[in-house]
Amino acid sequence: MDTLIRIDHLTKAFPGQVALDDVNLTIRAGSTHALVGQNGSGKSTLIKVLCGYHQPTGESSATFFADPAHPEGRPLVLGDAATADAAGIRFVHQDLGLVEMLSAAENIALGVGYVMRGRRIDWRKNSDRAREGLAGLGFTDINVDVPVAMLAPSQRTAVAIARALVGWEDGAHLLVLDEPTASLPGDDVQRLFAAVRRLKERGVSILYVSHHLDEVFEIADEVTILRDGVRVTTTSIGDLDHERLIELMIGHRLERVVQSTRERTGATGGLTVTGLYGGTVAGVDLHVEPGEIVGVAGIMGSGREMLVPLITGQIPSDDGSVVVGNTAIDNYAPDHALASGMAFLAADRKTLGVIATDSVRHNLTLADLRRHWRRWRLRHDLEVVETHEWVDRLSIKTAGTEIPIGALSGGNQQKVLFGRSLRLMPSVLVLDEPTSGIDVGAKEEIHQLIDEAARNGAAVLVASTDTDEIVRVAHRVVVMRGGQMVDELTGADMDVGNIERAQLRNDSKAGTK
Amino acid sequence: MSNDTTTPDQVAPAASRGIVNRLGFDRFSALYVLALFFVFFGITEDNFLRWNGSIEFVLTEKVIVTMLAFAFLVPLTTQTFDLSIGANMALSLVIVTKLGLETDLPNGVGALIGMAACMVIGLLNGLVVVKFGVNSFIATLGMSQVIAALSRLIHDGGQIAGALSDTYVNFGKKDVFSFSWPGTGSEISLPYYFFYGLIVVVILWYVLEHTPLGRRMFATGGNREAARLSGVAVDRLTWGSLVASSALAGFAGIIYSWKFNAYTSSVGPPLLFPAVAAVFFGASQLRGRPNVWGTVIAVYTLAFGIKGIGLRYPREIDWMQPLFEGLTLIIAVGIASRQAIIKVRKRKGNTVTDVSPPEVNAPAATET
Repeated sequence: MDTLIRIDHLTKAFPGQVALDDVNLTIRAGSTHALVGQNGSGKSTLIKVLCGYHQPTGESSATFFADPAHPEGRPLVLGDAATADAAGIRFVHQDLGLVEMLSAAENIALGVGYVMRGRRIDWRKNSDRAREGLAGLGFTDINVDVPVAMLAPSQRTAVAIARALVGWEDGAHLLVLDEPTASLPGDDVQRLFAAVRRLKERGVSILYVSHHLDEVFEIADEVTILRDGVRVTTTSIGDLDHERLIELMIGHRLERVVQSTRERTGATGGLTVTGLYGGTVAGVDLHVEPGEIVGVAGIMGSGREMLVPLITGQIPSDDGSVVVGNTAIDNYAPDHALASGMAFLAADRKTLGVIATDSVRHNLTLADLRRHWRRWRLRHDLEVVETHEWVDRLSIKTAGTEIPIGALSGGNQQKVLFGRSLRLMPSVLVLDEPTSGIDVGAKEEIHQLIDEAARNGAAVLVASTDTDEIVRVAHRVVVMRGGQMVDELTGADMDVGNIERAQLRNDSKAGTK
Repeated sequence: MSNDTTTPDQVAPAASRGIVNRLGFDRFSALYVLALFFVFFGITEDNFLRWNGSIEFVLTEKVIVTMLAFAFLVPLTTQTFDLSIGANMALSLVIVTKLGLETDLPNGVGALIGMAACMVIGLLNGLVVVKFGVNSFIATLGMSQVIAALSRLIHDGGQIAGALSDTYVNFGKKDVFSFSWPGTGSEISLPYYFFYGLIVVVILWYVLEHTPLGRRMFATGGNREAARLSGVAVDRLTWGSLVASSALAGFAGIIYSWKFNAYTSSVGPPLLFPAVAAVFFGASQLRGRPNVWGTVIAVYTLAFGIKGIGLRYPREIDWMQPLFEGLTLIIAVGIASRQAIIKVRKRKGNTVTDVSPPEVNAPAATET
């Protein structure tokens, strides 16, 4: 394949830190090139230099080979937004940058302007343009005239991509996708991949940034690994396996921890769910023993995504009972669940977990303030002391207990939320997607916290779309299909392949919502 | 214990904190403005620094606005707006006045009935907002008109003055102390209701800042669903905050009845703006979110400013007052948001300039 863009000796230094150190990157025409590395490895800086937000330091250069007038390549100025755009480099950033209350057609027009008829907007042509752009990505089922807030996550991603590519005939050469799947449920990822493959067929190169190494193996042709601002290597994806990739990312072999097997003891107590109905969940019976970690797997729509909200009382159930220890809980709501000794983490950290503008301390102690209520006073000083203890214990990287939790990285935010739950000394711990959007290192730390909670006697339920995660933490995994628990895997049977096969077995409901 | 913590404002690295920060100008700007008023008007206007020239007037008169501002502040902590507070104040006032005029009930009982009526309104506000899920802005705006209708029905036209007994009025208006300032001969005194107001200030500050209840209210305002999942009874707090709001507004009406012993239909709603303005202006003080002392400081800064202008331009004050109130609000909140933006920028800068490990700060942009 021909080279599209070659970047040589890219260095970006900030006062006190070199974010990118002499990085070379060659992207071939029509290839999907993954960029991986832990947080702080320089991925974001590289993207920001490409899109013109940062200027490179020193003698960087870049050459662009897709200009017909310059078959031998012409220099490309780095750190300039207009140049990047003229060269056909387009970006879809992680938060998509869509205006929620505007339609897909309007969002697309925000980038390139409305199609006009005289001085008026030609709404029909605008809608047609949006539909065409989306159809080109394989999304023909999007209503382009309703607010994008009403669209499914994968559809919104498609709208953002379509917006980046509108007018791609005039030369979109490279599409940069920064964590495009961060907010996508499992099967939506496949739709996104289908769109990416279509683009590739049209000759567009993709620079794909992701924490999800599975995705990298599935979609990428080549991969460039960054570590601490230095390019470790660029290689064809076929030359790597999962473990080798992680090793290159973190610089040493990751101790691949697999959960030890654990025989059920037959102990009572823990978490007992009987005949639970509600939403996509259609009759779930489940018992988690004290000290046991049970994983719940299942594709989107299998009921897996609704199980934790129902058990924790976030969403009212239609029928069924949840028993914590030996106490059944009536009139189920989150505060009752907490009072019964259950603690939990909801799937969406941003909307259901953190109070972003509030401090780390306030976020940590919110679920139980009574212990610092002494003689008619909420003792802030004792809270600070306790927060420091948790910051140390959970290795939370934060500039202090009083800074807003929103300023922390996702992994550290999640650790604070873990602290919020663990300090309740729960007898039952229920976790939904506990490591979504978190990098490899922090992930393992959180898995160790889960292990520790179980060793301390908590019954732990972990629902996750990340099959590796389930294999890593669970003693036993139950697989959901059609709202019910249809399979159970333990011991040696519990591997990624078996779990994924079990999720999909004769399931006609796949992909439905 | 590491030394990098404990006060909310040590976020910015010490090196970047200039003289402005060290003087707390970002946190106490209103106090500096207040000082400026005292210096300026103190020099130019003879009456400004006299106790009975302006100080007593402002201190006592603004207790009413302070209570009304608190009525707005309490639900605001849970991100709920109560725009019916001005009308609610008028309701308790018209009830106590009318009962005093037409019945033999002791005025104190009338005042309690007025307060109770306000709290019923608060319950209704809560019902509409929490149970029916109507946006609080809309619900309370509509309710303010319903209350206005109720007040007019009770009032039945004309100005009512002097309907309340001396015993009742003295309960609030009587001076707690009174003495002559040596040399000047001016009489220094403050009435009971000023101290009732002070007690409310202290209680509210204590509840919001030093009890789990207050913490939960702010958490509800910060992220309602996250708070609910942390066991906070968000609906009950919202409902309760609306009842507390109505009670505070009702109390403002009672103070008015002590102070003026009169009712006209123009009392109440016009005070909504100064109350709301004080809360938002106050939110730019001290902690960067709505808070009790910031609100008090804001009320009095505005009041002394207006008093000074009134002394200097007695004929123009009529139009200058709203102009001053409006501009102060915009400028104060504008400066505060600018500083917030600068802080965020600095923090973003830190993501790469800080020597701490990159992933500490490489936040939102890459992960969440």
